Amino acid sequence: MENGYLNTEAGPLKINAAGEVSTKKARARKKAGLNKDAVMTVLYPVLFGILVLVLWQTQVLHKILGTDTFTLPLPGRIINIIFENVPAILKNVQATVIVAVGGLLLGSVLGYFLGIVAMAFPKWGSGGISIASAFTAVPIVAIAPILNNLTKDLSDDPHIRSMLAKTLVVMITCTVSMSINAYRGFTELKPFSLDLMKSYAASKTTIFLKLRVPNSLPYIFTALRVSVPASIISALVSEYFAEFIIGVGRQIRESIVLAQYATAWAYILVACAIGILMYAILLIAEGVILKGRRHR
Amino acid sequence: MKKRIAKLLAVIMIIAMVSTSLAACGKSADTPASTPAASTPGSTGKYYDKSTSAESIVKDAASKGKVGNWGLGNEYEVQALLAKYGQPITFLSQAFDMDGFDNDTILLASAMTYNELGLVKNSYEGGYKYGDKVGIIDMNDEGVAMLEDNIFCTREFAEKNPNTVKAFLYASMKGWEDACNNPEEAAKIVFEYGSSVSSEHQAYMASEVKKLVETDTSGASVKDYGNMDDKALQQTLDLAKKYIQLSDPAAASKLQSMTLDDIRDVSYLKEAMASGGKFGDLEKTSVSIQLKWLPQAQFMGYYVALKKGYYKDVGLDVTIIPGGGDIGETTAVYTGQVDFGVTWVSNLIAANAGGMDLLEIAQVYQRSGLVLVYKLN
Repeated sequence: MENGYLNTEAGPLKINAAGEVSTKKARARKKAGLNKDAVMTVLYPVLFGILVLVLWQTQVLHKILGTDTFTLPLPGRIINIIFENVPAILKNVQATVIVAVGGLLLGSVLGYFLGIVAMAFPKWGSGGISIASAFTAVPIVAIAPILNNLTKDLSDDPHIRSMLAKTLVVMITCTVSMSINAYRGFTELKPFSLDLMKSYAASKTTIFLKLRVPNSLPYIFTALRVSVPASIISALVSEYFAEFIIGVGRQIRESIVLAQYATAWAYILVACAIGILMYAILLIAEGVILKGRRHR
Repeated sequence: MKKRIAKLLAVIMIIAMVSTSLAACGKSADTPASTPAASTPGSTGKYYDKSTSAESIVKDAASKGKVGNWGLGNEYEVQALLAKYGQPITFLSQAFDMDGFDNDTILLASAMTYNELGLVKNSYEGGYKYGDKVGIIDMNDEGVAMLEDNIFCTREFAEKNPNTVKAFLYASMKGWEDACNNPEEAAKIVFEYGSSVSSEHQAYMASEVKKLVETDTSGASVKDYGNMDDKALQQTLDLAKKYIQLSDPAAASKLQSMTLDDIRDVSYLKEAMASGGKFGDLEKTSVSIQLKWLPQAQFMGYYVALKKGYYKDVGLDVTIIPGGGDIGETTAVYTGQVDFGVTWVSNLIAANAGGMDLLEIAQVYQRSGLVLVYKLN
């Protein structure tokens, strides 16, 4: 596969076709062997999950953890709350997802662009990227209230204003991982591929479009694997400080302060579902887009 | 190469499709939410005149979506007031400073008479120096007062440690009486115990807290400290039933069937005050009390009792634990991390509806300290 990739990139069409065929065969062989393992890897966690749920509902878990049904409400009650409040929950989910996805897209696009800039000016690019990585250390808790104040003048509608503030928080957290990975994608090329392109007297633009951009594609997904969960976490936390009271994270906070633990758990479950769903979408997208491309 | 371009195009297409579909989601979400905020045009001047009625101020500020409150269980009186004047009960999330009021993001801001209102009016450190240029809407006058700072513990703790509870109440009330008689001294004591605010603000707070402890919702003076007035408590419970929104159906139905006996027990205070300071064997001598907020004159009674040895006199070793931010005083007491707590009655009601069994044993504040503050033209 290592070779297949390079050949497809630069070599003539015949080798390209041959390379594709061989990888397909390899995958087919792998698939047959993997099937059993794949079933098992899914089955065991599912069984474990069901076991935990049963222990939880029958309150055995409460005895083990030394807690009560108030602090750790029964799953039945939590599910019931979710079903009783579908419209309210959807409204909060929508607010959270818009912030998370909006910030993720903005941050990723900006990060990719920063990666391009850093690559275009290699002298300070790598240094700039490492400084940018320091931004990941900025706690959301610290920047969320600041952004709230900064966005005060942007809109008269507090709903839009606080949406913007929250999206900016998510954007900041997502920008960094994308810029670092995009930069790596642009610069960590296959050995000799750059020399090969140069031997063809390819222009910088051609090298960028035909070598660097395709090479960065897997790196984009590496970045997204970090930013997708991070975007949801930042969205949930930034809601704590938002001016307009909406969102799954905000509901968790309000419910816990009001000692409504069952409701808080319901929203925690919803938050988990959002995270898992978005990650699953990412993995599927990655599988489809990078089909036969992942060379590692 | 073509395949590669096709794949890249596919990626771009997917991103574009996702973003457009989400943008559509965004619009559909924004429109209904923003309509109530910016529908009715209203007021004539930038702020309000002295002669403007509370009703028209509330209506105007609500129509502009500029009524603020901290939320987190502090919002029910404001919601009751909004409902009283037929307004939607939504409000802006107000930060724990008054910057939002200062920069006009919030026209009608929530303020406690003893804290935020002082910061808005006064010119000492941290003050916004508005002086007489602000007006207030008092929850007591509007008939939507809900009782605030009380003393509570779990029912189980009270039943197991009746003498400790009585001793604690007796010494605490002695502390409150002392603090209300000498608010300046009480402010100094609180300041010594690690204050979150300046000494001038502490002194202002003590003088205002004294009014809340010694005056009831109708404005009549109260001399029996900690008295649990059934009428005021019932009003609090009634408003709580109306405005505490619980998503949990089990908790919601429990809230609706709640009576005063589910949330308070007057016997401990009564017996404590009649005891004359003798309580027999204390079941537990080392106890702690969780405050609702940072150390400040809002809780001066406990600090005075501690400083002047009133707790020691009844044989108690008391630890005062400050709150702040998202500290859940009801949870702390329920889980047994602390023995007593100070909370608002509405928070206790919500907690009991959620499944706790907490018991109010004294009502320190006899009237609501919450006001809505607005700027005058």
